[in-house]
Amino acid sequence: MKTDEITLMAYVDGELPLDQRHEVEEHIRASAEAAELVELLKASRVDYQGAFATQNLPPVPDSLTQKIEAMARAHAAPSAVNDSAMPAPATAPVRSRMRSVPAWLAAACVAGAFCGGLFLRLGPLLDHGASSSMASSNLSPWVQAATGYQKLYTRDTLAYVSETPETSSKTVDDIRREDGLALRIPDLRNAGLTFKTVQRLRFNNKPLVQIVYQPEKGEPVALCVMKDVKPDQAVAGQDVDSMRVVTWRQAELSYALIGKPAGVDLNALGKQISNREVEQLFSDATSATQPKASAS
Amino acid sequence: MNGADLPSMLPEMLPRLWAFALRISGDRHDAEDLVQRACLRALERAHQLQPDTAPLSWMFSIVHSTWINELRARSVRKRSSMEWDDDFLENIADPVDKGPETQLMHGQIISAVERLPEAQRVVMLLVAVEGLSYQEAADVLEVPIGTVMSRLSRARQAVGAQFGTHEPKSKASATRKDSIA
Repeated sequence: MKTDEITLMAYVDGELPLDQRHEVEEHIRASAEAAELVELLKASRVDYQGAFATQNLPPVPDSLTQKIEAMARAHAAPSAVNDSAMPAPATAPVRSRMRSVPAWLAAACVAGAFCGGLFLRLGPLLDHGASSSMASSNLSPWVQAATGYQKLYTRDTLAYVSETPETSSKTVDDIRREDGLALRIPDLRNAGLTFKTVQRLRFNNKPLVQIVYQPEKGEPVALCVMKDVKPDQAVAGQDVDSMRVVTWRQAELSYALIGKPAGVDLNALGKQISNREVEQLFSDATSATQPKASAS
Repeated sequence: MNGADLPSMLPEMLPRLWAFALRISGDRHDAEDLVQRACLRALERAHQLQPDTAPLSWMFSIVHSTWINELRARSVRKRSSMEWDDDFLENIADPVDKGPETQLMHGQIISAVERLPEAQRVVMLLVAVEGLSYQEAADVLEVPIGTVMSRLSRARQAVGAQFGTHEPKSKASATRKDSIA
């Protein structure tokens, strides 16, 4: 009869009942191989925890602590999250090696929110994107939030997006019916911008739509839309943190066209969109796009 | 204790997740990326955390599987301890309270574990260092409990052999005797 090495380990660790223990001891006396194994296992009973506790590991990086806390807040109970639309700007430097992470993070959050049919709560993610210069701009909080978020968006981020015309169409439909936004998805191909994705996000517990376009070169451009009952406002642009932000308000919807200028005149594009000089995508559900707000 | 509590628990768990990620990846940049990705994955699937599963074990499991996937993606078969970041492999620290012999012993223990084959090393980290039960380690690694015990036994034989051959007559053997009791 051969006593296996697992039993011998249990024997060495004193985990065997008495009768089995005697049996193993008998076996050890009879088998030199078993006796040798037992010696090795006994020799291995050392203070691993004590040893590793003294291992000189680098401390948890501050940047990591901040990111995990931001993630945890983003996933905490909604009541706790919606109050923190504009948390204090994070100032931790991002090492070059890790630059891809926020983009990945953004993509994963968006993918998770999208696939799970959930809404992404935008506020806490601002930890990565908001800046003091943005906070001092005259942009409304949601545009600041969207701009901070857009800074995380790169071409790499879009590589994670696996959206089909069907899923986009469904999202647009949901936005029109469930969020009550009379949304048009402008077709910006004439400006060199290809539609990539449309996302339902939330800001302060209200629907925020992000439509992302990819230029031929450079970083993605987003058109973000929120309901806003204030009077119409003309197209106006400003530069915030190396991002061009063009805003206007029309038919009780606030728009923000956000991107890094790279061969695209976002001001002119904003005017074209507001003047409805561009075609729209997903127009098959156009009958549902009559502004509900104006109907009431 | 369920998934809804996870966001509040993560910051508290972070130091142990960080240490585990550092030890399995051997690189602080990889470890930082790894912990972030694991935490995000965990938060996205927090509803899958069962009430009878220890959240820390569950997080170790996600850190480990994320790392395995990363290694597969990189087609890295195995990391040898020689590739490790020397900065945090100063095994002997805290010289204030410990005598030189204890320090030496601690350094040898860490080196012995680091020299183990990957599968055995991770089991040792989970069971002997992190204090997980065999079953918890099996859950983390998604292998049968018998596999965990078998790997652990092999790992301990290897560690025992190193102590036996390096210092057959002196401190190691005395420590060995002491520890039998």
